Amino acid sequence: MGRFLLRRLGMGLLTVFVSSIAVTLLIHLVPGDPVQIMYAQSQGTTPEQIEAIRHSLGLDLSIPEQYLRFVGRLAQGDLGVTVRGQQPVLGLLMQRLPNTLALSVSAMMVALLIGVPLGFLAAARRGGWLDAGLMALVMVGISIPSFWLGLVLLFFFAVQLQWLPVTGNGPLNLVLPALTLGLANAAVFARITRSAMIDAMQEDFVRTAHAKGLPEATVLHRHALRAGLLPIVTIMGMQFAYMMGGAIVVENIFAWNGIGRLAIEAIFQRDYPVIQGFILVFATVVAVVSMLLDIAYALLDPRVRRAV
Amino acid sequence: MTMAGTDPIAVTAAPTPGLARRLFSNPAGLIGTGIVLVLVALALFAPQIAPFAPTRMGAGKPLLAPSLVHLAGTDEFGRDMFSRIVFGARFTLMVGAIAVGISLVVGLCIGLMAAYARGWVEIVLMRLSDVLFSFTETLIALACVAVLGPSLQNAMIAVGIAGIPLYARTAYAAALVEAGKPYFEGSVVAGAGPLRLLLTHLLPNVLPTMIVIATLGLSSAILAAAGLSFLGLGAQPPTPEWGAMLSAGRDFFNRAPWLMLYPGLAIAVVVLGFNLLGDGLRHVLDPKGRDR
Amino acid sequence: MSEAILEVSGLTVALGRRAPRTLVDDIGFAIGRGERVALVGESGSGKSLTALALLGLLPHGVAHVRARSLRVLGRHIDPAQDAQMRALRGVAIGMVFQEPMTSLNPVLTIGRQMSEAMIARRGAGAREAQDRAIALLDRVGIDRPELRMQQYPHEFSGGMRQRVMIAMAMMLQPALLIADEPTTALDVTVQARILELLVDVTRENGSGLLLITHDMGVVAQIADRVAVMRRGRIVEEQPTADLFRAPRQAYTRALLAAVPRLDGPGADAPASAGRPVLRLAGVSKRFGSGRRATAAVDDVSLEVHAGETLALVGESGSGKSTLARIAARLTAADSGTVVLDGTDITRLSGSALRTARRPVQMIFQDPYASLDPRFSAARAIAEPLRIAGMLDRSAIGRRVEELLVRVGLGTAAGARLPHQFSGGQRQRIAIARALATGPKLVIADEPTSALDVTIQADILALLSELQREQQLALLFITHDLAVVRRIAHRVAVMRQGRIVEIGSADRVLTAPQHPYTQALLAAAPTGDPTSQRRVAL
Repeated sequence: MGRFLLRRLGMGLLTVFVSSIAVTLLIHLVPGDPVQIMYAQSQGTTPEQIEAIRHSLGLDLSIPEQYLRFVGRLAQGDLGVTVRGQQPVLGLLMQRLPNTLALSVSAMMVALLIGVPLGFLAAARRGGWLDAGLMALVMVGISIPSFWLGLVLLFFFAVQLQWLPVTGNGPLNLVLPALTLGLANAAVFARITRSAMIDAMQEDFVRTAHAKGLPEATVLHRHALRAGLLPIVTIMGMQFAYMMGGAIVVENIFAWNGIGRLAIEAIFQRDYPVIQGFILVFATVVAVVSMLLDIAYALLDPRVRRAV
Repeated sequence: MTMAGTDPIAVTAAPTPGLARRLFSNPAGLIGTGIVLVLVALALFAPQIAPFAPTRMGAGKPLLAPSLVHLAGTDEFGRDMFSRIVFGARFTLMVGAIAVGISLVVGLCIGLMAAYARGWVEIVLMRLSDVLFSFTETLIALACVAVLGPSLQNAMIAVGIAGIPLYARTAYAAALVEAGKPYFEGSVVAGAGPLRLLLTHLLPNVLPTMIVIATLGLSSAILAAAGLSFLGLGAQPPTPEWGAMLSAGRDFFNRAPWLMLYPGLAIAVVVLGFNLLGDGLRHVLDPKGRDR
Repeated sequence: MSEAILEVSGLTVALGRRAPRTLVDDIGFAIGRGERVALVGESGSGKSLTALALLGLLPHGVAHVRARSLRVLGRHIDPAQDAQMRALRGVAIGMVFQEPMTSLNPVLTIGRQMSEAMIARRGAGAREAQDRAIALLDRVGIDRPELRMQQYPHEFSGGMRQRVMIAMAMMLQPALLIADEPTTALDVTVQARILELLVDVTRENGSGLLLITHDMGVVAQIADRVAVMRRGRIVEEQPTADLFRAPRQAYTRALLAAVPRLDGPGADAPASAGRPVLRLAGVSKRFGSGRRATAAVDDVSLEVHAGETLALVGESGSGKSTLARIAARLTAADSGTVVLDGTDITRLSGSALRTARRPVQMIFQDPYASLDPRFSAARAIAEPLRIAGMLDRSAIGRRVEELLVRVGLGTAAGARLPHQFSGGQRQRIAIARALATGPKLVIADEPTSALDVTIQADILALLSELQREQQLALLFITHDLAVVRRIAHRVAVMRQGRIVEIGSADRVLTAPQHPYTQALLAAAPTGDPTSQRRVAL
């Protein structure tokens, strides 16, 4: 298990490392002069000021030097300041991050609570009309754009029925975004659960359990379900990353103050320090969450847990 | 790492006679093919089908509800929404084809090279693909747009680049399976060179898997590009692109809900079509998937 | 026969949702208390389906099981009634499956899996079930059973898992134990002990044993009575000794004749002692790194001469396949040299390696993956000729036709794709392909292990003939000593990466020097119920 954890940690560090390099290079890939572009919208910037900004961003250094400078400042928790407003980027991101995490985690709950039981049910009734109906529903579910679903939910629940507030950042405001993001992913979970369960039910050891004379329900719950749930844990990490990605869009529909909304504003304003910080924070969160879930998996699977 | 988001696909390399017949006998494949054909027809014959020019203002009064004249109503400039949706099919098809084209070609090259070359080439390419894959397509596409600037063309490129890790990993996994089979090793022992091994053995046997992935990929690419346009990072008004139209319709949310209803429905139906077609293809091509 | 524990007649199994195909067709047999019956047949004969049908383990909707009459312990059972079948399972009929590696649940402890049925079916307390499980584990030869109860399947070897499976099947003392190819996935030395255990455990319990197998050697070793199945029907049923002495049906005779026997005829002596085509000197290969590294091949030296067959024998994990791959340079050795037809290919790479490797070709075990599924038979056979670039198009065409005829397929087969051939036919194509360029050395890695015994006999005969005709050097990798007897001139016995014994086939098989070779020979089923040698290992 130690070996497994070490490998996982290595992969997580590699992810953060690659994203830090990508973030440094990002600004150089911009066609044209990034400083000109960044400040094109603000009026009355003199050439001297532009040079000063270039220097303060470290853009007058060589790329390796820039990277070292970036990492050095990162180690001190400094991700630079926003172009507009000169606020510290890290502070801004950290202030918004809890909102995004709250949205992603609650959406994950919605997705799991709806998707896994439906997938299990479909697998248990495999080949029947319930299975066919659920899978058709799942197909529709994964095809509906979340930004449209969000608008439709908003229209019905907030505008027509007025059950929920349209905008704001209170707990009630979380309901619709979490539902929007959760429903689309519930379909994905239902699909994965069904296919994992069907695989598990075809395993030799499930046949053994039947041959032992165990009751049908015991075979399904004790043998098939346990084996079928393991692969679901392994993909939850990736699914969480998709939730974070989906949150970017959903936050913009519901004006939910997370880092995704911040990022889109930054792209419009060409606020590169914020974009850089956003990518880095996003990659780090995804790496940490998937590492935690892999550890959970390792604890659940005796083959990994007991491996030397 | 396991593949997430999609089921792992193992597709038979065996040539499949009567592929079309088998595809149509599968309900998903049949409906999917139907939807995709309608989309293609709309795109090809948009000028003939659409009653109005898509950007013509004042085709009717502003914000008219759907009627027989304006099947999907009109927007705030009096443009006919139905015509705009019909012309939007062109952008949808183009976005999907170009984005998936980029992902498929680059991903296939990376995957095949990694599986064939082994050693450090394999490690560097596949570790990098793993890392980029874990960033998710959304983040990569956003980063690309942040660099390139918002436009429909850049959105296509961004979505194409964002898809590369998935295609590379899939091609790599499929190629690795083939390269481990005795027929491949038999050719190696017989003295086959890299080109012969890559082009006559690996590529044709990996292709069925990639076709399934690409068909399913069309739906996610269309969804991603529409999402970017919705956020204002892709197609810009007055382009009749469905995501952009949906975004514009948001402002008339209360008064004219059809402005957001129909473009969204169009996206959903097309995405469903490609998903069904991909699913049908997988059932036909994958022996394990046949009774799933 | 005394009182029957199982009597079945008119058993029919059809598979398929829309147009079910009948795969077991109106068969009947009976098993008495304490009797051991073997159901023997080649792949596709319906023997495993029969076993699964008797337990009601076939999938609903897909499988259609009918029986004119099915009586278990004197009670009538309707195989279509799920509840009745479930009541039988585990209690009246226990089952041991072929694949010990996948037949136990990887995420539950052995103790839990052992005791759960007793708790569920007999209402036993956890303590009581555990005690019985521990006693049974001890009985089947598992050391420190209390400790092993806490462990998971991956902490057991294949043979140990099969012991656990047997113990588990005996938990409720079923009147009948069905064992479906229980030793097919195991090494021969392990196989012998598992078979003995099956016999002993069922005898102690007074249980009957229904053994499903394709292996006449296994049948000879343990069965009282044999039913031979072919294409869904029982073609012959006799007491074991009678069947081996005087088979009544032509099919049974052919089946028995095809079984390679250790005391059967050996290979003809090589025409002449040729020069060495392959020379391995001090070859070693380790996998993994650091503390976890294991030596797959450890300082092996051997030669294969033109016109001779050298059999490389060993159990799984002995390193024999790795050695074959090193000889063909599919795998690079860590140290030592590989000299092929006078050229040292150990350090070559790229086009130099491709040229130097021309004299060697390979034949593999899995006939289903040995051919590119998109290549027609003719194209597959032509490929090495095209690569070699020695012949023009029409000459290649003629050569391919000649080869197709030579391996017994005929020229018309050339246009067909691999999936249109049977396993044995595919292996013939693979042989034609390997011989196309007139190689000096052919390395065959278990080429007949995936084939039925009658087809195996044909392929072995073909390989022998071709080898004599073309003065080939043949390096033949196998785990089966009886196959060695039939085809090899010399034998090298491998164990844990080393060659423990090498010599002429006659000498090694009749007067083995090394204790491991002796153990292998002792464990090998002889295929003759009268000269049953059971040597305690």
